[in-house]
Amino acid sequence: MSAPSIPNLLSLRSGAASGRGRGTGPGGPARRGPPGSRPGPTHDATIQATDTDAAVSRLSAVDLGYLDDPFARLFVQGPATRRLPIINRGTYTRTTAIDALVDRFLATTDPDRPRQIVSLGAGTDTRCMRLLTSPHRNHRNLAYHEIDFPAIMARKQALIATTPSLRAILAPPVPLSPTAWHAPSLDPAHGNSLNLHGLDLRTLTPSSPPLPNLDLTAPTLLLSECCLCYLPLPSSSPAPPAPTPLSSTSPPRPPLPPTPPPPSPILSHFTTHLPSPTPLSLIIYEPILPHDPFGRTMTTNLAARGIVMPTLSIYPTAAAQEARVRAAGFAEARVRTVDEIWEGWVDAKERERADGLEGLDEIEEWRLLAGHYVVVWGWRKIQGGFGCGRGRGMEWRRRWGDGM
Amino acid sequence: MSDLDRAIAQLRACRPIPEAEVRELCHKARELLIEEGNVVTVNAPVTICGDIHGQFHDLMELFRVGGDVPDTNYLFMGDFVDRGFYSLETFLLLLCLKVRYPDRMTLIRGNHESRQITTVYGFYDECLRKYGSANVWRYCCDVFDYLALGAIVLGASNTLPPADGEPMSSLNGDDVEIEVRNSDGQVLSRFLRQQRDTDRRIGGHGGGAVTPNGTAAMTNGVTATPPSSTGGPSSSPPTLTGPPGSGASSASGGSLGNPAGAVLCVHGGLSPLIDKVDKIRLLDRKQEVPHEGAMCDLLWSDPDEIDGWGLSPRGAGFLFGADIVKVFNHRNDLSLIARAHQLVMEGFKEMFDASIVTVWSAPNYCYRCGNVAALLELSEDESGWGVLARSNGEVGRSDGGMGAAVAAAAAAAAGQRGLLMDGGLLGYRNGPARRYRVFQAAPQDSRGVPAKKPVADYFL
Repeated sequence: MSAPSIPNLLSLRSGAASGRGRGTGPGGPARRGPPGSRPGPTHDATIQATDTDAAVSRLSAVDLGYLDDPFARLFVQGPATRRLPIINRGTYTRTTAIDALVDRFLATTDPDRPRQIVSLGAGTDTRCMRLLTSPHRNHRNLAYHEIDFPAIMARKQALIATTPSLRAILAPPVPLSPTAWHAPSLDPAHGNSLNLHGLDLRTLTPSSPPLPNLDLTAPTLLLSECCLCYLPLPSSSPAPPAPTPLSSTSPPRPPLPPTPPPPSPILSHFTTHLPSPTPLSLIIYEPILPHDPFGRTMTTNLAARGIVMPTLSIYPTAAAQEARVRAAGFAEARVRTVDEIWEGWVDAKERERADGLEGLDEIEEWRLLAGHYVVVWGWRKIQGGFGCGRGRGMEWRRRWGDGM
Repeated sequence: MSDLDRAIAQLRACRPIPEAEVRELCHKARELLIEEGNVVTVNAPVTICGDIHGQFHDLMELFRVGGDVPDTNYLFMGDFVDRGFYSLETFLLLLCLKVRYPDRMTLIRGNHESRQITTVYGFYDECLRKYGSANVWRYCCDVFDYLALGAIVLGASNTLPPADGEPMSSLNGDDVEIEVRNSDGQVLSRFLRQQRDTDRRIGGHGGGAVTPNGTAAMTNGVTATPPSSTGGPSSSPPTLTGPPGSGASSASGGSLGNPAGAVLCVHGGLSPLIDKVDKIRLLDRKQEVPHEGAMCDLLWSDPDEIDGWGLSPRGAGFLFGADIVKVFNHRNDLSLIARAHQLVMEGFKEMFDASIVTVWSAPNYCYRCGNVAALLELSEDESGWGVLARSNGEVGRSDGGMGAAVAAAAAAAAGQRGLLMDGGLLGYRNGPARRYRVFQAAPQDSRGVPAKKPVADYFL
């Protein structure tokens, strides 16, 4: 049987299989450091390249039919790279999980009053575009704030200004400062807007000024999708131990119970500027379990790429991640692994659909990989339903705390 | 040096051979494989290996740990290709060795030896990258269609002989049923036959998984475990009772001079459509792996802690429980099913009172999983099968038909005995003695050629 006659159960939707590579981005990860910066991958450049990785993975999942995202193509240069099914399922699961939590945030706040989402290290994320153009009646009066390095945000605003499909939904970005832009939705019924803030997240502290255009009383959702994990921890916390090389002959050190470090200054920035009773919520997506064989290999492999995740050793378990969110000022917190989300949140019919796209023969590997990532989310207790419609405080708690 | 030996030398250096040579090799291999039955008969001693998945350098490590071909008689249970970066070199080398030493190499088909799966999981792309066309992929896929679906190992001993270079010595008259060694040959743990049931109850391992003392040390990334750290029974120097094979004189639950019972090797597992090994022999295997049916199930199914049959999360094949395995083994006069297909962090996992074992031979699978790998050595019982001509490893697998006839007779005999035999549904108390050798991924710096830097994907 020749390749073209293969039944399409496990083959691509997008035509013949020829010419597609796997696992490598188009021409390798693009360096996205500021022009004129030193050649050679600085840690910043390496971390910025993880966004390219995520964008390529997103497009792979979209091309194969896992996700519906008309904007994914805009942020990948060159030909699409098809990821392995296990990665596609991971992209699908994390995206739909965070979408579901964002929907809950929007469903539990008053759609007739301003709400805002602040995405940390947003990079080329397309969630803002999907939300700002969503016909859903809850997806309005939303100010979406994205924060990333100035060069990345500058590129994103330039893309918005020059891409017809984006020009059709957003007004041309207006500078708020030399490194910040504001672009309202062209549909006045939406009342939505996108704000791009070009800044180094490490400069955000409780004493730094609030972001321009940020409403300090509106219900706010903070979103860190593999962002805070890359950032240095507060100086008073112990330095993370160096990754253990696989060839080490020393017995495995049982991880010391980590001393909880002070909350991230970035989170403190927002909890300080948006004090209670402003409804404030947080979603974090990042890896855990660095000390088992899979986790040690992950740490070593990522370190070989220049990627270090300080949070991994400080918040090594799902429970530690949950405690972290509570300690940061979110009285209520929940956590699920990506594996649990796939099994528990994605309904059986949808799982069957997603599985049918490629066929996933990596069950054990999936459980390992997906068990090493968590979505942790937390929220402030609402007092008197501030910023919400009547009775929404209870609704808020019920929807955020239960079921998931 | 023959062309074949030259190709072997080139592939051992992890260099692909020219397309024309691949075509010729695949043609020869097909001629050889077409003569094999769906279930190949293999005589112990044999070293059984699980998934390799294109991890060429780890296959070299496997040969270092298990012995080279043709000195060691190998049985590979499929999934040679996909996922790793060297599927091509891996499969072609195994195929060359099969053609060169047909009686010392047994290859059975895994679910990745399929056109559909290889287009998704890497082998197709790799062939395209390395040859610029899909021709080599097509030649290989045509060979896949001829690979056997399973193997029956006959003549396995229920005692372990001393390992290479070790003197025969006494172990207080106790039979070692399971021995685990590391890649340097050091004993990590031993399970004596008398202790087995007690140990398992005390250990309370889910599904009776053997997780020997050494496991913790093995899985933490330590290459060499100092003997002093392998506590318990494994701290004593290797000792055995009497000459190898002497246990064959003990009570036998087997038949036809097969005291330890036969071992069925298959990539995935059982099928609700297959109650007798003979039914596997009746399948028309020379085709792409179907999406359903007996052939599909044999390559896709997994044992699980359930009663009876269950739906597989893989979307093909089934899950099957302990009851299914025990009835099947009893009905077919089997003492053990050896299978691969599932990643096991410790390299091997025995389940259901040691009626089935998973062997996994791809260490640090996908350069990402951090697992160790294992191979399973079954030694030769010298009492009943010594009369069989030992193969010299050259071309001409002479006993295929005879072995199949013997196995069929064994199955028939088992059927006649019904369910009242010794051990009843618990199967053989005298299953083959098993020596597992666990090994780590090949160290990066031992590779002769600069290896393509493995880049494992994560969710970033």
